[in-house]
Amino acid sequence: MIEVRNVNQSYSKRSSKKTLTDVSMVVKENAITALVGANGAGKSTLLSVMTNILPALSGVVLLDGKDVRKMKANDLSKRVAFLRQSQQLNVRITVNDLVEYGRFPHCGGRLKDEDHQKVEEALSYMNLTDLRHRYLEELSGGQCQRAFIAMILAQDTPYIFLDEPLNNLDIKYSVEMMKILTQLVEELNKTIIVVLHDINFAAAYADHIVAMKDGEIYYEGPPQDAITPEVLNPVFDHDFHISNSAGRPVFLYYDEDDPNCEVCVS
Amino acid sequence: MVIVALFVIFALLSLFIGAYEDMTLQALLDGNERARLIFIHSRVPRTMAVILSAAGLSVAGLVMQAISRNKFMSPSTAGTTDAAALGLLISFVFLGEQSGAVQTIFSFAFALIGTFIFTLVISRLKIRETVYIPLLGMMYGGMISALSSVIAFHFEAVQFANMINLGSFARLGGFWGVYLVIVPLIIAVFFATKFSIIGLGEEFAKNLGVNYNRVVMTGLVVVSLISASTFVTIGPLPFIGLIIPNMATSFYGDNLKKSIYDLMLFGAVFVLICDIISRLVIFPFEMNVSLTISLVGGAIFMVYLIKGVFGDDERKAKA
Repeated sequence: MIEVRNVNQSYSKRSSKKTLTDVSMVVKENAITALVGANGAGKSTLLSVMTNILPALSGVVLLDGKDVRKMKANDLSKRVAFLRQSQQLNVRITVNDLVEYGRFPHCGGRLKDEDHQKVEEALSYMNLTDLRHRYLEELSGGQCQRAFIAMILAQDTPYIFLDEPLNNLDIKYSVEMMKILTQLVEELNKTIIVVLHDINFAAAYADHIVAMKDGEIYYEGPPQDAITPEVLNPVFDHDFHISNSAGRPVFLYYDEDDPNCEVCVS
Repeated sequence: MVIVALFVIFALLSLFIGAYEDMTLQALLDGNERARLIFIHSRVPRTMAVILSAAGLSVAGLVMQAISRNKFMSPSTAGTTDAAALGLLISFVFLGEQSGAVQTIFSFAFALIGTFIFTLVISRLKIRETVYIPLLGMMYGGMISALSSVIAFHFEAVQFANMINLGSFARLGGFWGVYLVIVPLIIAVFFATKFSIIGLGEEFAKNLGVNYNRVVMTGLVVVSLISASTFVTIGPLPFIGLIIPNMATSFYGDNLKKSIYDLMLFGAVFVLICDIISRLVIFPFEMNVSLTISLVGGAIFMVYLIKGVFGDDERKAKA
């Protein structure tokens, strides 16, 4: 279980501007939690604090009752995996190399039979076995993102934190990615916390929504309660237009008063 | 496999080329005493020096590129070599003629401090265009070597300063110092996976439980030890740390654990060829090896620099 208690964070110790103010939450197990909010709301910072990439200035993050700041880096990396939005790579490594790096916390770079088996499993789970000897730079954005997820699977952690995994992915790959995450929860009992920009994706795939505004948690709850204009209009400081599709709310981002926007006028 | 074959061929060639033409395999087998002495005391140490310094600098370059996440970094474009020269000069000016061990310690300390400062400054600067970083590094190196010149003039050690700044495998006085390169190379083999992982970024490394700062420091020590021990015994071998990793990774990739031995062999073959050319062009005399390396390496570096500049443009055009 991951529990965040009264966490505060700012850019530096002296800075008065806070990026997180008194944030407390309990991560929902075996579910996808989506962090949503405007730019600078503190979503990524919260993710970094929860994974101890950026240790909290005050307050604690407890992993199964233990303060993550006091855990050994190696032990933490066997429990919690963290992936930043797809990064620009300037190294030539193959899919296989990358997935093997995922075993580092378990074997320190010297892979044993068990580690090779985990690598095989991760590759086949993500349908990458045929691409394993290709260099990452030769892959499409979607394949590359899948390779990183395969690495996280090889890392074999119960908790997976993803910061904007849909960045740079087109619609087809975004849907594929969200389906994979759902599968990870259902088949492998993972707990996933993900920062999403697209509210419709959050509404469709997340089990739990955490809406953040100005470094605080504004609202937390299941999608049907959280994905509403009452919650999201103040969170994004924007008037959403909602349409209904097969009983599901779909958010339209366009300005209702915009005369050029035909969707809104109808 | 090809690289191993090339390595064996050029290593043998290197052993049997030289001014003393009676030194042949036949003479060795016949038990010719003079041939044996030349082989043991001149040819073998020289070939070993070429192989070890080339392998060392190639690995140093790749480690540096992983630490800085910049393909244009190397001991000669980050002030490391110039700082090693400054250290060597200072040991000469203040302590006089010293043993190789003392000189290496001075060189190592200066190389480590010089590289550390540059790495620190670069990590704070947030420069987007990666091609500017080696240019800054060369300016930084230029400043260090200007300081060396001032010191050399002031203490009337210009002759010494000029001598150490010419790389040569024909130096008198033994190549034992270059065997020191074996130590950082072994460290590099043990740290290979960690170096590759930090090459993917600080957060990536932290996610895998790698102690980022400790690995960076280890890398800087490896780079400085290699640079200092090759500098003291052979002198500057420009471009090796820059072009060899770039050429080798396009064949073998950046996963150092897999590619480190190929990288070493690749570097060794390159310098063996340059050294053999240096010995043949004005046979029986020989040209300075750093001159040959500069000519060949400079041309290759230009190609990479131009490709880098245009590569960036292409990426921008896509975005």
